[in-house]
Amino acid sequence: MDYFRKYLGPSQGGVQPTGADTVERLVDRVQSSTLLDDRRDAVRALKAMSKKFRLEVGTQAMEILIKTLETDRLFTEIFTKTPSNISLLLSMLEEYDFHVRWPTVKLLTTLLTNRCKELQECILVSPMGVSKLMDLLSDSREIIRNDALLLLIQLTRNNGNIQKIVAFENAFERLFSIVDEEGNSDGGIIVEDCLLLLTNLLKGNISNQNFFRESSFIQRLTPFFDMDSEAQRSQAGWSAQKVTNIHLMLGLVRNLVSPNNPQQQTAACQRTMFQCGLLMKLCTILMASGVPADVLTETINTVSEVIRGNLQNQEYFASVLAPSTPPRPAIVVLLMSMVNEKQPFTLRCSVLYCFQSFLYKNEVGQSQIIQTLLPTSSDVNTITAGQLLCGGLFSADSLSNWFAAVALLHAIEDNPSQKEQLLRVQLATSIGNPPISLLQQCCNILAQGGKMQTRVGLLMLLSAWLADSTVTVAHFLASTANVPFLITQVSASDSDEHELLVQGLCAFLLGICCLYNDDQNETFSRASLRQIIERRIGLETFTDKLTQIPKFESYTKAAKKPHLNSKQASDIIFDYEFTSIFKSLESDVLKAVSSAAFMEESKKKMASMQEHEKVVNQYKGLIQEQDQELNETKQLYQIIQQKYTNQEKEIGEMKDLIQQLKDKNALLKAQKAPSPAVEDGKKDEELRSLQQEMENLRLNLTEKDSALGRLKDDLTRAEAQIITQNDTEENKENNPSEIAVLSATVNRLNIDLQECRQIITNKDSEISRLQVQYNEANREVETLKQTAVVNSHSEVDTSSLEKEINKLKEEKSQLMERIKKSNEENLKAIDKYNKLEEEKKSIENDRLGVEDELDTLKKEQEDLLVLLADQDTKIDKYKTKLKN
Amino acid sequence: MSYAYLFKYIIIGDTGVGKSCLLLQFTDKRFQPVHDLTIGVEFGARMITIDGKQIKLQIWDTAGQESFRSITRSYYRGAAGALLVYDITRRDTFNHLTTWLEDARQHSNSNMVIMLIGNKSDLEARRDVKKEEGEAFAREHGLIFMETSAKTAANVEEAFINTAKEIYQKIQDGVFDINNEANGIKIGPQHSPNNPNMPSGGGGANQGGGCC
Repeated sequence: MDYFRKYLGPSQGGVQPTGADTVERLVDRVQSSTLLDDRRDAVRALKAMSKKFRLEVGTQAMEILIKTLETDRLFTEIFTKTPSNISLLLSMLEEYDFHVRWPTVKLLTTLLTNRCKELQECILVSPMGVSKLMDLLSDSREIIRNDALLLLIQLTRNNGNIQKIVAFENAFERLFSIVDEEGNSDGGIIVEDCLLLLTNLLKGNISNQNFFRESSFIQRLTPFFDMDSEAQRSQAGWSAQKVTNIHLMLGLVRNLVSPNNPQQQTAACQRTMFQCGLLMKLCTILMASGVPADVLTETINTVSEVIRGNLQNQEYFASVLAPSTPPRPAIVVLLMSMVNEKQPFTLRCSVLYCFQSFLYKNEVGQSQIIQTLLPTSSDVNTITAGQLLCGGLFSADSLSNWFAAVALLHAIEDNPSQKEQLLRVQLATSIGNPPISLLQQCCNILAQGGKMQTRVGLLMLLSAWLADSTVTVAHFLASTANVPFLITQVSASDSDEHELLVQGLCAFLLGICCLYNDDQNETFSRASLRQIIERRIGLETFTDKLTQIPKFESYTKAAKKPHLNSKQASDIIFDYEFTSIFKSLESDVLKAVSSAAFMEESKKKMASMQEHEKVVNQYKGLIQEQDQELNETKQLYQIIQQKYTNQEKEIGEMKDLIQQLKDKNALLKAQKAPSPAVEDGKKDEELRSLQQEMENLRLNLTEKDSALGRLKDDLTRAEAQIITQNDTEENKENNPSEIAVLSATVNRLNIDLQECRQIITNKDSEISRLQVQYNEANREVETLKQTAVVNSHSEVDTSSLEKEINKLKEEKSQLMERIKKSNEENLKAIDKYNKLEEEKKSIENDRLGVEDELDTLKKEQEDLLVLLADQDTKIDKYKTKLKN
Repeated sequence: MSYAYLFKYIIIGDTGVGKSCLLLQFTDKRFQPVHDLTIGVEFGARMITIDGKQIKLQIWDTAGQESFRSITRSYYRGAAGALLVYDITRRDTFNHLTTWLEDARQHSNSNMVIMLIGNKSDLEARRDVKKEEGEAFAREHGLIFMETSAKTAANVEEAFINTAKEIYQKIQDGVFDINNEANGIKIGPQHSPNNPNMPSGGGGANQGGGCC
């Protein structure tokens, strides 16, 4: 290529070189130039070109650039100064081409390794930056996926916000599926990378832990600890990779239940770990054989944190048995390792941590352990926790002494009854000698000197034992040698650091004897101890030695967290729990010992007692007042209640009345319903028709009458004719037929007349009948009119009733309102009453508290008086002696 | 603990509108009058039932402050639902809704269900934004709307559950691609990966490879 280009170069002088050519030349310069400035210019030129010739720059220059960044750290700084460079890189990730995407991933990883913080900020600011990087995990090309893992590990370092976004982008799901595909703990480096990323996401990130738990990923941790797999059985030992993987897996569990997490969070994870069988799996590893010591140690530490402070998990742990013959409790087997000096130091530390975690907030567990020390548990053949602890306490190995002492401390910590139980423990010494109490044996060993760890362990145990237990203090003081020993220790002027430490602890123990003194022991009563301290040690020295303790580096280190984190055996000095006991008692001890302050305090107590009495009286007065008020309110309440019931009754009555009225009204309406107007109309019509009929009949009658009159006229005329005819009969004998016709006519007329008369009588009777009917109808109309009148009367009645109802309604609503008001008043009164009751209760509580305090103060005062009297008698005795 | 679906929500809106209080009221059923400023993003979860199905809600409560904006943007893409909250006693928080909405629309998947919430409805006396205005804004931009009170718990359940109902409906309508986890929806572990509506056991042994 070069040859051709040289050859062709001059002839194509005018032609612009292609982008690829330029890139190639620049890459060459970056690679080979010896001058930093030259290289920088070439890189800048490449950068300028990268926008236009992205693919070319990507494919050719990327790898060289990455190498440059690795060798010239300065370039990283220059590169990251411009945030747009980073967005450019992120946008290049969208290119699927392997030759662009892969080098971009590498480049980003390098940049992140060199300038983590700046790069993280750049990526956070760039829109969807983190999401784009997360998408790389789904790349089908394993190389890119694997390098994306490394990139994400760098990206998530110490940045909570990025950790959360990565988790939000389903990182847990993807990582778990990769780990699963790669064979869990038997997988290779990719599993390790996944676990490292998971660790980054979970460590100290409570929000992510919460998300992890809520999404049921704890359940998916369980298969990580499957030790029964095919690969496991075929393999002779554990590969280094497997050890690393398991360590990281255990670390994940510990992150979720760390004692430094919020208690609620840890408790929720602990519950889930029990439910999904994770704790069971871990306990199986604990008891399995062939587990490398460091894995075993870390497993013990993990179990410790999974059970710490969770009763259910602690109970489960106590029930775990080791597969030995006979089966022994896991606790016993572990304790055997703790007091065995041949075991690795870190393993022994982890056992102590486990034991402490088992007893933390577990009173039942504490009593179970102490029980194994008591003479009642008789079976001699089985090894018990108690035996192992006693053995450790008095073994020749000072570390075992320390471990056993601290373990015992945790078995009695914060548990007064177990402190008393432990006093009952008697130890058989050499044959023929009487048994000796555990407490005294501890003191004896302490007095014998011995190694620093032994003494520190015993002093811590004794301090915890005596603290808050006057009975133990009394036992301790009963042996006359103990106090002088402590005095000698505290007053020693040895300035060796370890000795100073022991002296400080002795001062603390002495102070506890003073603080929790029941004043039953005359020689070592509170006052006399104070005197002894003041005379033999001096208050200043005592205070110095005591306050020295928290200044030791080992103290501050132990106080940080419950887990023992010492690299070597000689670093082991203080226990976490002891440091918290010390912190809570230091100032009280100082007060108890410095007599002036104490006297002042007792004076103060006296004064405050009187004050209290006054206050109590005040409260009593107040309570009486409130009682009275309360009674008044109660009475008021009753009156209101009475009123209320009365009004309710009244309302009931009103309601009844209204109902009655309504009923009546309805009845009336129903009666009124067949409308009288219509009936009247009908009757009138009938009447009218009757009248018309009558008129017609009358007309008929007059017609008939007139017809009759005409007929009569006809008749008279005809008679007259007849007469004239008769007159002319003789004359007119020759006309007989005419007469016959006339008489026929007469006869006919007579018959007609008869008929008419008949008709008239008929009509007359009909008329009279109709007249009767008419009268009846009239009468009926009259009655109807009357009823109508009656009805209109009833209308008036209804309206007045309605008015009455309205009035009643009004009255009712008024009453309702009044009742409502009185109800409100009632409620208020009840509220007030409740409040008063509460107040009264709280005052009562206050009063009880005050009375209690008063009683104790009185008792104390009495004690003081007795003491005073004693001293008086002593003084008298001495006086008499002196006189003698 | 098993669920048919898992929905991812985010809560967004100006600082101090009560986003964290809404979440606390929903997950813990309590109200914290004094709440620390949210730093970045906090997580909460709760199970609800819709249509007889258990649905797990995973909720990311984001910081409202401008300085965290770039961080909170990273959460839009993977969320199936968003509660966009303003404070009815502070008009400026209502005025900023447009910006929030643009941001959300730009970075989220287009099917994300957005519920507009006017919080602090208990402070009626100090109201600065009318309910009608909220309704109008929601109508205009195609959002669901509700006024809530994280203090009295009024409508808080409804706000979260109605959003879930809307998402559920979209799933039933086939709008969401439920096999793409980037949408903020996940099918429960015991449910068939290919057909969530198929009765369990009906698919036989070879459920994984099948395709309908």
